[in-house]
Amino acid sequence: MSDERLQDALRDASIPEPAGAEERGRRIVEAAYAERRPPTVDDRAAHPSLPRLALGLSLAALLAVLLLSPAGASVRDWVGDAFTASTPRPEPTLARIPGGGRLLVQTGVGPVVVQPDGSRHLLGDYEAATWSPHGLFVAAVKKRTLSALEPDGTQRWSIAAAQRVAVPRWSPSGERIAYRSGFDLRVIAGDGSEDRLLAGSIAAGTPPDARISPAYVPPAWSPTGEDALAYVTGAGRLRILDSETGAVLAGAPALGRIVWMDWGDGGRRILEASPGTLRLRPVWRAGHPSRPALGKARRLQLPPRASLVDAALAPQTPLVAASITHWRKHGTYSEILVFRPGQGPRTLLSVPGSLGQVEWSPDGKRLLIAWPGADQWLFLPLGRGKGSAIANISRAISPDGHPHSFPRIEGWCCQPGP
Amino acid sequence: MAAESDADERRLVREAQDGSGAAMARLYSLHWRGAYRAAYLVVHDTAAAEDIAQDAFLAAVDALDRFDRRRPFRPWLHRIVVNRALDWARREALRRRVDGAERVFEPLPPPEEIGGEMIAALKELPAEQRAVVVLRHLLEYTPGEIARMLDLPRGTVNSRLRRGLDRLRETADARRVEEVRR
Repeated sequence: MSDERLQDALRDASIPEPAGAEERGRRIVEAAYAERRPPTVDDRAAHPSLPRLALGLSLAALLAVLLLSPAGASVRDWVGDAFTASTPRPEPTLARIPGGGRLLVQTGVGPVVVQPDGSRHLLGDYEAATWSPHGLFVAAVKKRTLSALEPDGTQRWSIAAAQRVAVPRWSPSGERIAYRSGFDLRVIAGDGSEDRLLAGSIAAGTPPDARISPAYVPPAWSPTGEDALAYVTGAGRLRILDSETGAVLAGAPALGRIVWMDWGDGGRRILEASPGTLRLRPVWRAGHPSRPALGKARRLQLPPRASLVDAALAPQTPLVAASITHWRKHGTYSEILVFRPGQGPRTLLSVPGSLGQVEWSPDGKRLLIAWPGADQWLFLPLGRGKGSAIANISRAISPDGHPHSFPRIEGWCCQPGP
Repeated sequence: MAAESDADERRLVREAQDGSGAAMARLYSLHWRGAYRAAYLVVHDTAAAEDIAQDAFLAAVDALDRFDRRRPFRPWLHRIVVNRALDWARREALRRRVDGAERVFEPLPPPEEIGGEMIAALKELPAEQRAVVVLRHLLEYTPGEIARMLDLPRGTVNSRLRRGLDRLRETADARRVEEVRR
């Protein structure tokens, strides 16, 4: 077979294409482009030039290698002043979850439940999962399927959606699960019945404001149990719906290029996050307890040139934890900042290299911080008390005992039941 | 869709960076089909290929302001597509291995379908070989360019290409003989 024949065959071969795929993609890309904020002179100045970026990355990589190698002790002393809070000495194996509770983490082969004693169980080859409010069940998705599972992986029910399913979120009342199917926002009862469309879709003729955001911002339930659901529309609006009736309860412009939101602080605040900005918006209860109203968002000041990696709003207090990465003379540094309303941020931890996700414990008293570069999880208390670190996380969590990719934290469960 | 020259494409990128939705739409029209096709030929899954092509464009929109206008857009996009397709294929392989599930092939396309025999043969290659074959023979990049896109030594690209083509030839020949015998 000649190269020409192979080339012709690859170019001309009939390839199956999902109906409307190009058009769907076009609408999403156009919406993402429309939401993009044109760069300002300040933004351009804030981006490091390519050589500097390359130099920085090289230095960071070199630093990481040196720090993580046995010969790195003297180097560790050299950068010792970079550690605001000392990183705890890591425990070699995951034998307990500091602070208790259970963790749901997504590995390269599926979601895994980690019990308080560190034992773990693979739920199946699902792509994402979320806890039910009291950790009695897990909602998991795979391609076009949404399933409810017991924490041992036993399937209670499963439905097939018309399009790919993503970002399931179980309501705090336990009565509903919100999820995304294609570009529709749908809701289903906790027993797998009454599946229905809540918002969407991007089908022709639908007003653009009814789409959910193409940036895949997961919806967020009100933590107060009234089944109000916040989501971001394709037109960039933050909207709160009554999930029972579909009525719009409140709306406001969402943060530009929003990628994440959290509804916490006992239902009193919504956190909005984009790669460079964090905003906290009060939620008022005007007139009627079930009718929330959105107040004016206030920006949380990040250090100059910092990139936001992750942020989380505490479940019952207005504290916001942010994992950020920024540049200093010696390369990439990461920090965990904790914001309190009306005060500047406090640096809880500062390390060379890159930190990852940050997750509040169910009681809001400590933080779980992912440190993929060191293959560690850090459990740091907010007040007095000793932090803990667990080493070899990729291997410890891996269902087959071989280290794969660093796991993603899906949730830390749970508040005591009612 | 008429091919656009490198200069035209650079102009489109510049205009898209400056806020022209029409220029972005034109870039999408020019490159979506190629991106989808390349993704499909590596992953052999229509839903995954759609997601990968879409994600690659969203990544491109996200990084548009940082994109160096002097560089061509097409290889940049294809680099994202093929690397994401490889990640997906590796994840799938890992899932199968951990599950212990046997690999289930979809039925072969009917013989009258254009290139069906070639697509079926391509599917039997390891994902890493599929990716270099697609980059070389569908998207027409040189081995040096492929090495840079996949962050591989050039010798590795050449050997994967050679092994991939040998296996494609063997598989395609065996299928032809089988067809004749039937």
